[in-house]
Amino acid sequence: MRCRRDPTSDDAVSGVAPRHVFEPRSHDECAEVFALARSERLALAVVGGGTELGLGPPPSRLDAVVSSRGLDRVLEYAPSDQVIVVEAGITLSSLQAVLAPHGQRLACDPPHPDTATMGGLLAANAFGPLRSRHGSLRDLLIGVSILRADGTTVRGGGKVVKNVAGFDLPKLAVGSLGSLGMIATAAFRLHPAPEAVATLRFRRMTPRDVRLLTTAVRAAQVEPAAFVAIGAGDTFDVLLRFEGFAAGVAEQRNRAATLAAPSGPPAEALSPAEGRAAWREHDAARAHGNACVKVSTLPTSLESLASEVVPRLKAVMADAATVLHPTLGLSFVAGDARDAVDFAAALASARARVGRGPGSLVVHRAPAAMLGAIDVWGPLPGAFSTMKRVKEGFDPDGRMNPGRFVGGL
Amino acid sequence: MTLPDIATRVREIVGPRNCIVDPAELRTYECDALVSFRVLPKLVALPGSTEEVSAVLKVAAEYGLPVVPRGAGTGLSGGALPVEGCIVVATSRMKRILEVDLDNGFMRVEPGVINLDVSRAIDAEGYYYAPDPSSQSVCTIGGNVAENSGGAHCLKYGFTANHVLGLRMVLATGDVLDIGGPARDTPGYDLAGVVVGSEGTLGIVTEVILRLLRKPQATRTFFATFPSTDEAGHAVSSVIASGIVPAAIEMMDRLAIVAAKAATGLDWPDVGAALLVDVDGPLAEVEHTLRAAVDIARAAGAIEIRLPRDEAERALMWKGRKSAFAAVGRISPDYIVQDGVIPRSEIAEVLRELAALGAAAGLRIANVFHAGDGNLHPLILYDARVPGEERRAEALGGEILRVCLRHGGSITGEHGVGKDKAEYMGEMFNEADLDAMSTLRCAFDGAGAMNPGKVFPTPRLCGDRPGVYRPHATELSGQASRG
Repeated sequence: MRCRRDPTSDDAVSGVAPRHVFEPRSHDECAEVFALARSERLALAVVGGGTELGLGPPPSRLDAVVSSRGLDRVLEYAPSDQVIVVEAGITLSSLQAVLAPHGQRLACDPPHPDTATMGGLLAANAFGPLRSRHGSLRDLLIGVSILRADGTTVRGGGKVVKNVAGFDLPKLAVGSLGSLGMIATAAFRLHPAPEAVATLRFRRMTPRDVRLLTTAVRAAQVEPAAFVAIGAGDTFDVLLRFEGFAAGVAEQRNRAATLAAPSGPPAEALSPAEGRAAWREHDAARAHGNACVKVSTLPTSLESLASEVVPRLKAVMADAATVLHPTLGLSFVAGDARDAVDFAAALASARARVGRGPGSLVVHRAPAAMLGAIDVWGPLPGAFSTMKRVKEGFDPDGRMNPGRFVGGL
Repeated sequence: MTLPDIATRVREIVGPRNCIVDPAELRTYECDALVSFRVLPKLVALPGSTEEVSAVLKVAAEYGLPVVPRGAGTGLSGGALPVEGCIVVATSRMKRILEVDLDNGFMRVEPGVINLDVSRAIDAEGYYYAPDPSSQSVCTIGGNVAENSGGAHCLKYGFTANHVLGLRMVLATGDVLDIGGPARDTPGYDLAGVVVGSEGTLGIVTEVILRLLRKPQATRTFFATFPSTDEAGHAVSSVIASGIVPAAIEMMDRLAIVAAKAATGLDWPDVGAALLVDVDGPLAEVEHTLRAAVDIARAAGAIEIRLPRDEAERALMWKGRKSAFAAVGRISPDYIVQDGVIPRSEIAEVLRELAALGAAAGLRIANVFHAGDGNLHPLILYDARVPGEERRAEALGGEILRVCLRHGGSITGEHGVGKDKAEYMGEMFNEADLDAMSTLRCAFDGAGAMNPGKVFPTPRLCGDRPGVYRPHATELSGQASRG
């Protein structure tokens, strides 16, 4: 097959080396690869930019890697409808570059936009600070086509923003980690690029300050587009970003600046350049070190998260940084895990604390050598038996990214 | 197995008053708001808890009976239409609000809670639940979840699927599943995303965790009239293109305006088209967007712009819009509510096409719809007493859906496929797509017992090889056909 090449050490997935690498340049070529994989019974891993490839235990089988990066075309773009249809190998930056001249964007801003592909971001349910306002990719994806293990291509959703015909395959695809098939194309709803952007920073807030600010923002009915707290030591720098029309943005920023506790640090209104630099710090904190743990709790558990869960993780992750999304109840702790046994024990202990209420703890990235020792996904979700049947229905031979998803699916 | 046996078993579970077998009483359940299809169920069960739903479904499974879930029966696609010999499980008794947590932005409710009662329960604290179907004062959350209901404000805020954090459901086997939860990103597949909008074909939802929103600081509304739907459609495109994300943009054409006036006594002028626009958010932002949107509407050819003087007048404007479907009853003895979606930039063009189709069929079409997201609701007016007119109206409804598909749209934006549109699914999706959806269904309901005959154009058995047709059990027994 023309698009086959021999693997190099860079093609390993969590330490497991494939025997083949396929780099299809068209959907038809990709379907040929899947047909070959079907007849040869090859276990496949689809790889985009590799930015989210650390998620999940090592594959239980891996015969071939299929790279989606050659499938990066824009298939349809209707600016007046604010909808775009793309092949899933397109990077987020390339996609945004197509939209920017039309004053539009995809309201999704995870780290590594230059390398991350839309397919990879969808498969991993990746997100960035804009999730506070615009939701996650599940809220932006309106249509999808999936190449199933048997080589057939199936479509769900459509290319209009409102559509309830048939089961919602787009939502099933988001976060499915390539276990049901390859996301081949995706249709997204778009948003206008904001006319104005302003960032406020509150330095050195305690977890309590952060929680009180979250409550005060909600009470005051200001609507930040993004709201994160970044911590290196025991305190957090909080960033609030306002987007929209100039008059509204300035008014919201000014009002939000008065919302910090009087005893706490004052708000700093950042210049555009300072603002961009501050948000890059968010991306850097998330990408920091060889390991990253994502914790989901209720937003009101922020203080107990900071006092009971985060310290357990930081104790075994050198030079750790913490990113909180206070309105969402989602947090990341990133740093260098040094010892597999310590790391595994800390994860178990942190997970036990998280498990006292609603929530979960998932290892998003860890050194391949440690993956054998740690529990990446934690306890099985309540509906696991149904999830297993979904997997078996879509991929009866277990050849799509086997072993990497929840419960070894 | 006889009816008395089954009824006895169901009575033991839900209590005698909540098990209906009397034919006169059963007639209440023979259809939903799509009244052109009617089938009398074998029995109606009104369970009061998850446990009772589970026990009833186990009885149904034991006797091999199909189960049709039902909320308030306001659905317009025949999703709650019984099938021959079925048990209807209506969730109307399960109407408790189980938990309200404003700090964490969620509410846990039973499926029989009325949509508007969710917002009412938290109104005083300054919160609300965003999806607002026109029937929100009577429709229930369980039905909203089944249909992935939208409403006027989903342009900015999304549909039911964007506001459900988790749910508890009972499968056809009686097994109880907990999916998602109030904390985000439960590991595993997004089954909540799959169940929302599955039209009762996967199981019966018995608890729903809803996402609540803080009310916006300000909402501003304006009503703009236009010579025709051409200018109004152009105004919609221009507002969106300007970077404004309105909370709602609703359009009414001349016939719909006439009907709404007749029903509500509003002093709306006699014009070719009107838009009702909401913008909301922080006050300073909203005042800017209101001014900008009004200017754009004027530039697009608006005849008149009305700003409500107070909240009462604003509520009246919205009442006119939300009552428009029923109001059409004032100007026509019978009508069909159609629901289809097109790219919003093509509204003016498509409305001209629909008018031509209507003229060719000799039928009037009134349009009142969610223009901001291209979700058309053509109301086809007819008189059932005139021989052949109902059939022509139905055929015209189908043609309208084909127009939507030709423009790259969808056969339903919010009413669901149900029984009504199952035959059109094969025009929007191919066999491979439908097989994938069927695969998903089989993971929840291997026996095909839940709401059979809905959504899919032809019955599909779990384990079927793609492309090979075998008659379904219900078909063999004469309960369903391949129509």
